[in-house]
Amino acid sequence: MAKVYTGRDGRLLLDGIEQIKVTNWQLTGSLEMLETTSLGESQRTYTPGVQEFNGSATLLYYNDGTGRNDAATALKKVLRVSGISGGDTVDMRLRLVEGSTDHDVRLTTYITSVSFGASVGEVSSAQISFQGTGALTEVTI
Amino acid sequence: MAFPSIAPTSRSFDAGSYPFKTFTAQNGSEVRILYGDKRTGMTLDLAYNNIADTDADDFIAHYDETKGGFTSFTLPAAFRTGWSGNTAAIDAATGNQWRYSDPPTITSVRPGISSVTVKLVGVL
Repeated sequence: MAKVYTGRDGRLLLDGIEQIKVTNWQLTGSLEMLETTSLGESQRTYTPGVQEFNGSATLLYYNDGTGRNDAATALKKVLRVSGISGGDTVDMRLRLVEGSTDHDVRLTTYITSVSFGASVGEVSSAQISFQGTGALTEVTI
Repeated sequence: MAFPSIAPTSRSFDAGSYPFKTFTAQNGSEVRILYGDKRTGMTLDLAYNNIADTDADDFIAHYDETKGGFTSFTLPAAFRTGWSGNTAAIDAATGNQWRYSDPPTITSVRPGISSVTVKLVGVL
């Protein structure tokens, strides 16, 4: 059956917890190319190098009825008194749902930057950027 | 084994010079004495970017075979790839052969892929 995916199908899971009030996420995958052109060749040639994954997401700064605030939890990955250590990775799943089927990209990331603020007439939100480390752990898109 | 027959990514050639000495008198006049009629001391820098490790290690094998910079050798035609001028113009001049002036360097780029640089000097 034909299916057009929209923001309604999008989900974001951090460390296995589906985040509430996510307004967008974006993932970029890239592949570095190594040039292998030698003298005497007229067209450039390449061989694959290393891959990279990074992206961003925006969450509303929102307390649900139980006091849970996923935006604050994400912000505190960087906004913290103690430093960041090698173990401060986040298991991230970027998901599009189709009925009972999940289309996931899963990767281990570091939250590399966060920003949030307050403006008159606007809902406060938190923007986070993340950098993948290592290979993707699951791809079911 | 012979020097690896691989087309380089880049090549830099310096033509060297003839062996002569210059003596300058107090009045500024100059006298030059030529000690040989063969050009020598040409240098050749070759770079091989992003080649397979199995090709890169051939340069070390050749370096070992020539006992580093001790033994001189000739180069295969592949080093001139892309050069459309006189083939002798960028090779060791008559009577010369190449030897290593520095050890080959291997830079690992990613698993299985490396870049190699080779520096040679022409000697009589």
